[in-house]
Parts: sequence; structure tokens; C-alpha cells
Amino acid sequence: MKRSYLPVALLLAVLMLNIIVTQYMVHQYFYQNYVNTIVAGVMNVVLFPLAFIIYKKGVNVND
Amino acid sequence: MTDKNNKIPFNEDNYTHNINRNNERKLDRRGFMKTLVGAAGVFAVSSLPWGAVAAKELIGLGDKKYPKQKITDVTAIPVGDAVDFHFPGEHDSAILIRLSENKYVAYQNACTHLRCPVFWQKEEGDLLCPCHHGKFDVETGAPTAGPPRRPLPEIYVKVENGAVYAVGVKRYEA
Ligand code: FES
Repeated sequence: MKRSYLPVALLLAVLMLNIIVTQYMVHQYFYQNYVNTIVAGVMNVVLFPLAFIIYKKGVNVND
Repeated sequence: MTDKNNKIPFNEDNYTHNINRNNERKLDRRGFMKTLVGAAGVFAVSSLPWGAVAAKELIGLGDKKYPKQKITDVTAIPVGDAVDFHFPGEHDSAILIRLSENKYVAYQNACTHLRCPVFWQKEEGDLLCPCHHGKFDVETGAPTAGPPRRPLPEIYVKVENGAVYAVGVKRYEA
């Protein structure tokens, strides 16, 4: 079976989202929109298990 | 005796025979994905403190509370005059100005340039710092002339039973 690079692409997308959300979070904090800060923080935390799931699914595809 | 210490046990080429570092630094697909997941983890962990401080601000723990403090009696300060006082600590000098019958403003009077005391110019209607001629708007504390770039910290005042009280310090906003 040919190995798939789809999970790699997905993980890269997750990382990009991480960067965007983190910057948004920091800016919203300094703009004193604390609810948005928390939403972005939760988003960042949720992205980690998502990345882990993508990894788990992707790694078994014949390396 | 001498030749006991002088012996080479085996061929020198063999010292590293069981260390195999071929391809050690090769980054394959799996390793790359692991790195990405790790990065996501770092992002997740590093956003926790931001969430925590944001939550703290939301609950209002960020506002410091000071006991309210009497500044002066209303009868002792005519409209247009100012009195000096100290708030919140005894070394934080401050100034109260009565702008009209019912309007009072108060600021910490250390100039935001180099902390000289700021004076009330009744005739010009300005707060003036004599050191380098910095001026502040009396309504808001915003700098209007000279070197200062930041506003004077405002003190909240309240009038109660014929006396003026200082009740809090406005939080600094950049
Ligand atoms: S200290 Fe007030 S203007 Fe310089």
C-alpha cells in the first residue's frame, strides 16, 4: 500500500490554525476582549487532541 | 607487571562496534507527524495561562480595592479650586479639582513624564507640570502639551454627606 500524505497535510493545517488562533488570542487579550481570549484558548487546547487523532489514524497507513 | 597496563585489549576499531547511528537524524513521515503533534501540544499548553488571566479579568480579580478615604469637606473647596491629598498610599500624592457645583475630578499628580508634581492652573484651566512644561487636560487627565505621553491616573471620587471621598483608582489602559 502506498503511504498517504493526507494526514501530514491535515497536521500542517492544524499547525497553521494553531498559529492563527494563538495570535488572535494574544491580541484579543490586549484589546481586553476576554471572552474571545478564552474561546481562542479553548480552541487551541481542542486542536491538540485533534492533531493526536489525525496522527493515530495516519500512522498505521503503511509507513 | 609493566606489560599488564600496557596492553590494548582489542583492535581499536572495535570501540564503537555497537553504536549504530546510521540514519539517526533522518526525519521520516512518522517522525515529522510526531513533531507536528508535539507542536500542537506546545500551543495547547501555552494558551492555558492566557485563558487563566483572561478568566481572572472577567471575574474582576484584576481591580484592586482600596478603602475609601475622605479628601475634604465640600464647603472647604470652592468651585474652581484644587486640594492636594494622598491616595491610595500615603506616598501617592494626588490632586482634587472642583470643576463645577457637582463635578469633581481627581488624579494622581505625579507627572507621567518624570514624576514632578502637577499643579492646577485656575486661570488657564490646565494641569501644569512646572518641570518641563507638560500640560494635562483637566477633564480626562490626557496629556495635551509638553513631554508627557501618558494620561494622569484618574482617581474615582464620590460625594457623600457634604464630603468628598476617594474610592478607587482607574485601571491603566494603554
Ligand atoms: S516631569 Fe512633568 S513635564 Fe517633565
